[in-house]
Amino acid sequence: MLVLRTILKGKHVKIKRSGIYVSAASLAITLAAAFIVMLVMIFIMSETPRDTIYFFFAGPFTNNYYLGNMLNSTIPLILTGLGISFAFRSSMFNLGGEGQVYAGGLAATAVCLAMPAAAGVVGISTAIIAAVVTGGVIAGMSGFFKMKWRTDELISSFLISNALIYIVDNFITGFLDDPENNLLTTKKIAEQFWFKKIFLPSNLDISIFFIVIIAVLAYFYLFRTHQGYEMRMCGLNPEFARYGGINVGRYMVLPMMLSGGFHGLAGAVSVLGTSHQCFKGFSGGMGWNGIAVALIARNNPVAVIPAALFFAYLEAGAKSAMINADITIEIASIVQSVVFFLITAQAIYNFVKYGRKGA
Amino acid sequence: MTPFLLAGIGGLMTELAGMLNIALEGLILIGAFFSVIFAASTGSLFLGILLGIMMTVFISWIFGAVTLYLKANVFITGLATNLLAGGLTTVLSFHLFGTKGVLMFQDLPSLPSLKIPALHGIPVLGDILLGHNILVYLGWLIVVLAWILIYRTPFGFRLRGTGSNPAAMTALGLKPQNYQMAGILISGFTCGLAGAVLTLNLGAYVPNISSGRGWIALVVIYLGGKTPFGILGAAFIFGLAESFSNYAQGFMNIPADFILAFPYIITVAAMVVMSIVQHRKVE
Repeated sequence: MLVLRTILKGKHVKIKRSGIYVSAASLAITLAAAFIVMLVMIFIMSETPRDTIYFFFAGPFTNNYYLGNMLNSTIPLILTGLGISFAFRSSMFNLGGEGQVYAGGLAATAVCLAMPAAAGVVGISTAIIAAVVTGGVIAGMSGFFKMKWRTDELISSFLISNALIYIVDNFITGFLDDPENNLLTTKKIAEQFWFKKIFLPSNLDISIFFIVIIAVLAYFYLFRTHQGYEMRMCGLNPEFARYGGINVGRYMVLPMMLSGGFHGLAGAVSVLGTSHQCFKGFSGGMGWNGIAVALIARNNPVAVIPAALFFAYLEAGAKSAMINADITIEIASIVQSVVFFLITAQAIYNFVKYGRKGA
Repeated sequence: MTPFLLAGIGGLMTELAGMLNIALEGLILIGAFFSVIFAASTGSLFLGILLGIMMTVFISWIFGAVTLYLKANVFITGLATNLLAGGLTTVLSFHLFGTKGVLMFQDLPSLPSLKIPALHGIPVLGDILLGHNILVYLGWLIVVLAWILIYRTPFGFRLRGTGSNPAAMTALGLKPQNYQMAGILISGFTCGLAGAVLTLNLGAYVPNISSGRGWIALVVIYLGGKTPFGILGAAFIFGLAESFSNYAQGFMNIPADFILAFPYIITVAAMVVMSIVQHRKVE
């Protein structure tokens, strides 16, 4: 009887559950909390809560245009999510995603504008390389400062990125500005450089296939190569890694460069695939969303794909509710903040794993 | 300089308790938004500041509770606070005033300022010390209070103990979380005040008015050597840099974008130089 009671109370017998189940269940709790917050906000803010909720959840699926655009917006999200995953896996914080995407997009645009339209694929490749290098160098600087002088990369990457946002703004509205209109954009790039659209009338383009392949390759790099192993080791325990003869300083710079490179690529893909020009503030939110995606995916490159889909759905839903109902799109960033608050909460994880709080 | 100073003092409290508080930025924004809204709706500056601070302390409590009691990563919850601040202020501004842009309040009472005509004649010193509004003096007072709190009270010793040796705190039967929470709530208080300084000076709310000040405050803490008076000095330098860039806009032909980028560039440069100096010292 006593034994039974202790079992029922769960005092000595802790129910240990397997890793993947625990991760999935604690993720579900976090997302459920986020949706509850969203529903509460809609009921407070909206005059017509039922319509708003319908447009939020069903809006992205009502026609091919919305659906395709939602899928299209996963493309940069997967890339920024991968970028952040690489940084997080090696315990580096890259908070400069916004500026890296923006500068990458500008670099790609500048290359395309400088090249003759006949350059075609060569032009596209050059533009992509330019964007990746731009992003990589920007983020790499923070990694370099950290390696050399222990400068906090979290703060430096954010500050550098913010300074860059204004400088890129200046290029868009100044040097590269399209004189033929009054909009804050650069000239359109030649049509030969555009990615092929695959799901008209939406903006979804062919790059989505390549991006999925990149995510899978990133997984293999991180989990099946020597360098990936060393990178993860430096993230898990830098002291142990140093003791094991791993060049820890190298894994402060390399992951940051990779991270910035992915962000730059995200900028290039948005320009070449979707907007075909750089407009002021086009990277708005992409960097932060990348962090959210990486966190939901628990820094697993393959899991980044569904996480990016979820986020694109959230944004598309908010956009649809904004267009068709009476709320503003920033409601999505409040929901996002709830995800940020709870996603790393160890207490939720333990609660699911052991069935008791704080075990 | 006052916003840097106040946010820096708040950030110092959590820094001493062993947490890098990147939520300062969002907390300033919350304070800025709510203090001007409450001041306009109640018609009283005092009530506006008070309620604005209470709101900021409440948000910082959420930040602290999730971080400490749900054991979440402090950087991610800090980002969450910043995101929440940006989202909440915009959504509320749209919901209450129907605009996401600048909120102007015509009949907002202006902040009283200290004027002693007899002493105004003193060159330089008179301009530096006198004629500011009361919140500036409150900021200076808070520096002194912070110094007393940190170095002359048991609370201060325990706060620093939490940062330098949490295991010893536990061994003494004290809960490190309580002191970290206290640090976070104090930073909520000072950031609320820092936000109030921004909007009440202006008599209006501009979206994203904190514009990186919370991040710069983090660097101010390091530059100030993690002491209240050091932060006062560092905040003064950043305040000068800020007024210089505003001033330079007037007579030099520099594009506005570069003026906006300037504080960030200066801050990164200061940060890197400081870490080089410290690195040399260690070796």
